[in-house]
Amino acid sequence: MTEDQSGVPTTEAEATEDAGRSREVVVPLRVYKTVTVFSTLIAVFSVVGGFILVDVATNRASAPASEIDVPVAIAGIGLILLGTVVYAFSTRFRTEEMGKSKDDADELSDNG
Amino acid sequence: MSLERKDEHDHKGWMESRELSPLESIYLTTLIWLDKRLRVVDYLEILEDLYYKVNMQMPKSHTEQYNLDNKFWYWYPLYALGSFSTIAYIVAAISGALLGFYYAPAAAAADGSPTVAYDSVMLIMGQLNLGYFLRSVHRWAAQVMVAAVFLHMLRVYFTGAYKEPRELNWLIGIILISLTLVFGYTGYLLPWSQLSFWAGQIGVEMSLSIPLIGEWVAQLMFGGFTLSQATLQRMYILHVFFLPFITTALIAVHIGIVWMQGIAEPH
Repeated sequence: MTEDQSGVPTTEAEATEDAGRSREVVVPLRVYKTVTVFSTLIAVFSVVGGFILVDVATNRASAPASEIDVPVAIAGIGLILLGTVVYAFSTRFRTEEMGKSKDDADELSDNG
Repeated sequence: MSLERKDEHDHKGWMESRELSPLESIYLTTLIWLDKRLRVVDYLEILEDLYYKVNMQMPKSHTEQYNLDNKFWYWYPLYALGSFSTIAYIVAAISGALLGFYYAPAAAAADGSPTVAYDSVMLIMGQLNLGYFLRSVHRWAAQVMVAAVFLHMLRVYFTGAYKEPRELNWLIGIILISLTLVFGYTGYLLPWSQLSFWAGQIGVEMSLSIPLIGEWVAQLMFGGFTLSQATLQRMYILHVFFLPFITTALIAVHIGIVWMQGIAEPH
């Protein structure tokens, strides 16, 4: 925690949650790299694995509706969704200086 | 005393100073836990460091030296076409070697029933696991290579990169583009399908149309004036033995000369 001149405590992490703007969390560069690399890896493996499961459940989309393995198909779709969510969630993290310059300024551009 | 570099950043306690939701805390903790064990990011950073150190060893390019990058950057993709051709060639070589395990160059049945060669291609396409994929990769690599080699030649021509002292490499390039086309043609005949067969017939007739030496060329390349087992066998050996050795050697010389002379840069 640091204090600016007006004495209002601000956190080093400018976790803005203004209306209409998506949440941003500032993290150290090294952590940002970790987030980027591992969230991408997890997302890729989840989505590809999900499609493989859907393929297995539906015999490459050729099985008649009665022979679809429902639990496996749902697991596959779930895995695809999981990968998507992990990837989307990772986009809220950023480092210093990565924001738009107007948002990175000391003062918020909310006209006071 | 530790040799580890000290910095201002609080490596252990930084997360407490952030206003993180529980989900974000769990997410970050999980990823950091994975990173500490698998160390993927560390290895990527080593690679990045290596890249910059190697790059520092390279001489300044003409465009860097005279600050032309701001005017010239949009031409740079065209300077990748040579590498692109080489990569396509390597992909075709690997996929082709794998296809070679399943293909048989035999035109045994002359009575109208499918030939061994055609059947082996059908086996690759229909029965073999990932066979369709493998042959598609091989075909696409071939198509991409022909296109990339041609565009590479246009780039060299229109930037004047063929001029002194690079005439020899231009000539080698002419030979290489011809070899690429022969590669494509011989490969086109190998499935021994209708398309292959009549493309072969056209080849024979084109050879025969050459003045004076036409009949000799047709005999040499196609093993006769009508298509037979000899034709297929010749195309096969050209495709998987002669051309690979000659082309690979010439590509090595071609790239070696570029390495020695440097890339011809615009002035």
